[in-house]
Amino acid sequence: MARYLLTRAWHSALTLLLSTVVVFLGVRALPGDPALALAGEDRSPEALEAIRHHYGLDQPLPLQFAQYVERVVQGDFGESIRTGVPVSSMLTTALPVTVELSVLAILIAAALGVGAGVLAAVRRGRPAEWLANGLALVGLSVPHFWLGLLAILYLSVATGLFPASGFVPLLEDPVDNLHHIVLPAVILGTGLAAIIMRQTRSAMLDSLSSDHVRTAKAKGLRPRAVITRHALRNSLIVVVTIVGLQLGGLISGAVVTEQIFGLPGFGKMTIDAVFQRDYPVIQAVVLLTATAYIVINLLVDLLYSVIDPRIRVTGDPA
Amino acid sequence: MTYLSFSGTSPRRRRLLRAAVAAVAVACTVAACSPVSDSGDDAKTEENQAAGQDSFGTPADPAAVKNGGKLVIALSAEPDALDPTLSRSLYSRYVFQAICQKLYDVDERAQVVPQLATALPTTSSDGRTVTIPLRQGVRFADGTPFDSAAVKTTLQRHLTNARSGRKSELGPVESVDTPDAQTVVVHLKQPFAPLVGALADRAGMIMSPKALQSLGDNFASAPVCVGPFKFAKRVPQNSIDVVKDPNFYDADKVHLDAISWHILSDASIRAANLRSGDAQVADSISTQDVAALSADASLTVLQSQSLGYQGLTFNIGNVDGVGATPKPINRPIAQNAKIRQAFEYAIDRKALVQAVFSGIHAVACSPVSPASPFSSPEAQACPAHDPAKAKQLLAEAGVPTPYPVTMLASNTPDTLRLAQALQAMVKDGGFDLKINPVEYSSLLDEQDRGNFELLQLGWSGRIDPDANITNFVGTGGSQNVAGYSNPQLDAVLTQARQSNDVEERKKLYGQAVTILQQDDALIYLYRQRNLTAVSKKIQGLQVFPDGVLRAAFAGFTK
Repeated sequence: MARYLLTRAWHSALTLLLSTVVVFLGVRALPGDPALALAGEDRSPEALEAIRHHYGLDQPLPLQFAQYVERVVQGDFGESIRTGVPVSSMLTTALPVTVELSVLAILIAAALGVGAGVLAAVRRGRPAEWLANGLALVGLSVPHFWLGLLAILYLSVATGLFPASGFVPLLEDPVDNLHHIVLPAVILGTGLAAIIMRQTRSAMLDSLSSDHVRTAKAKGLRPRAVITRHALRNSLIVVVTIVGLQLGGLISGAVVTEQIFGLPGFGKMTIDAVFQRDYPVIQAVVLLTATAYIVINLLVDLLYSVIDPRIRVTGDPA
Repeated sequence: MTYLSFSGTSPRRRRLLRAAVAAVAVACTVAACSPVSDSGDDAKTEENQAAGQDSFGTPADPAAVKNGGKLVIALSAEPDALDPTLSRSLYSRYVFQAICQKLYDVDERAQVVPQLATALPTTSSDGRTVTIPLRQGVRFADGTPFDSAAVKTTLQRHLTNARSGRKSELGPVESVDTPDAQTVVVHLKQPFAPLVGALADRAGMIMSPKALQSLGDNFASAPVCVGPFKFAKRVPQNSIDVVKDPNFYDADKVHLDAISWHILSDASIRAANLRSGDAQVADSISTQDVAALSADASLTVLQSQSLGYQGLTFNIGNVDGVGATPKPINRPIAQNAKIRQAFEYAIDRKALVQAVFSGIHAVACSPVSPASPFSSPEAQACPAHDPAKAKQLLAEAGVPTPYPVTMLASNTPDTLRLAQALQAMVKDGGFDLKINPVEYSSLLDEQDRGNFELLQLGWSGRIDPDANITNFVGTGGSQNVAGYSNPQLDAVLTQARQSNDVEERKKLYGQAVTILQQDDALIYLYRQRNLTAVSKKIQGLQVFPDGVLRAAFAGFTK
């Protein structure tokens, strides 16, 4: 186990370094100049020069990169070119929003998806399955932004049940916080719920027809116990993988959802930063997203062994 | 590089487009849209009629509004640094309007009026000494006194900070004197009339010397000025909150407890927030939403003409980047003004704003807004739409037709619709217009490098006409992306800048427009109107021609 973790850590560090290089060069390869974007209408050659100098953009690229890595290692992501606010403080305000939104979305998606998937498998060929399949199809095909706009139109503007936008931090007012974030989380969770439902359904169908379930039934266990303890537990291995893989996708889904609901999370921050060519912010966001991917993948691999003891982690992750 | 060529569409689609534009033009004539008139004052009213009446909003009636409450404003873009020296975006001016008063302000007639000064400045006969009297008994939000020393500290910071956005606006300032606590004397190297206009914008916002000392370059993290409100909190990308300042000299005229700007870049989301009551004000309403929002009984739409313009710039000498010495470009349209004039004759501005902006924006033929006190009949003269003349000029220039032109434009839906309409229009004048849409940051980059033949962009406008003209068309101007240079024009502009006589300046800007229209390096197309939707629960919200939303003295109705 220790050896496995060490190898994974080494691979993760390498991946992170590579993604840092790629992003660092990538943002600089974008057409457009952050100094120009910042100076906007009021630009004069002296002002542009001063902005470039202040943010070190006039230095040779290798030097810029070395300075960047040196600062990041010390936990300093620089300051936003657009607002002058330290990037680390932007991250600390944006990260909890996206994490809360994603966690809530995945909980909603898992509850809906697993529930509907089990139901569809157990009630195979009956109306319940058709309904679940139909809903999954809708959840998969309808884009987030459209669902979000509909939700705002009907649940905020017309009925006033939910606020149309805005965010209140969890610690400031938990009730108000939930009120603001539930709708975006449901919207974000719909697509994922559909995927989980379909995976759960097919995994459950496999399990239900397998030998050990037949044995369990033959032993005279109650149907509920057979479904939850024997069939579902086996199916969850697939579901966990899917959820893990989709968590990464959630971050990109959150970009759209946050934009529509005006949530000050990572997604909104990334879009604004790309448009403004705000290099330090883009770099920090990508670095953190890469870290999140790596950590999630590791956790998923570790979870396997918890759910299914037949899978054991060894020193060779390949 | 990808070219989005609408001329590549099917002949049937092209015919339809042309028919649509023609139908709009006919409808416009039937509805008696008057042409942009040749007389100054008439031009003012005619431009307004063509574009819909101004509605600046009215000051709050103290008997009709209650005290207290938090106003939420849905803002279309995020303000940049809340530091008057460093700020460069229109949106930070919205916030400054509540927390940072200026030496001078602008009223709804685009006239400069005193704010932290007590009167308009007196200028010495040689035009080089400007004396500004200051209000007494005023305190900054941190409780420290506002005096001439504070003004001097601020102006010096504007002039010396390496990243200052104000240095060029302040012009040839040599030194600042403080003969007493209530008087500031600015010494200039040469006379500089646009100074007062600059002091009615961010250059005139006075910062607390105490806060400047403790925060330095981080002033934006907790800005302290004189204002009806004081800075409370900023969540980057999300919101800015300010609360009522008890230290403000006119605090009893302030009704609201707090104002919060929520940044919502999507126009339909802003409209949704307004309708759901989550916000009471939304700025930069799309012209396409105006009808629906105006029809909503709980809302009013404020609109004012702006001082800026949207136009088309030809690259006629920008080879080594903006600001560098112009060099000849080997393209007929860059070398021969007749071809550019032909392009202008091919444009039917009125049909254009009608088709693309439902006639809400105003036709513009010069950089001088009819809203400006410096406008004159010459400054509002407008070449007529005449495709036959365009073709004739092209023939005189001896170029084969259709003459191909590629236009660089921003990829926003509004700009693309404008570009498409333009494309259909200039075809009749003998041009084959290709559209090359790029994202805004790239557009700025390409325009400064001179990587374009024709470019569509605009300018948000400033109070003093000099700030709307010289930088863009003066030789070596920092925004002269056309690489245009005309010594005759430079002489007129310099003379206008150094004169303090309004009538003389009016005449000179008229001359400048005449020269600009002969060379046609920049074709002015239309003037945006500032469109703001406001809930009827709010009174006293105003939008003036400087484009700044004034919310500080608003209140909720009783």
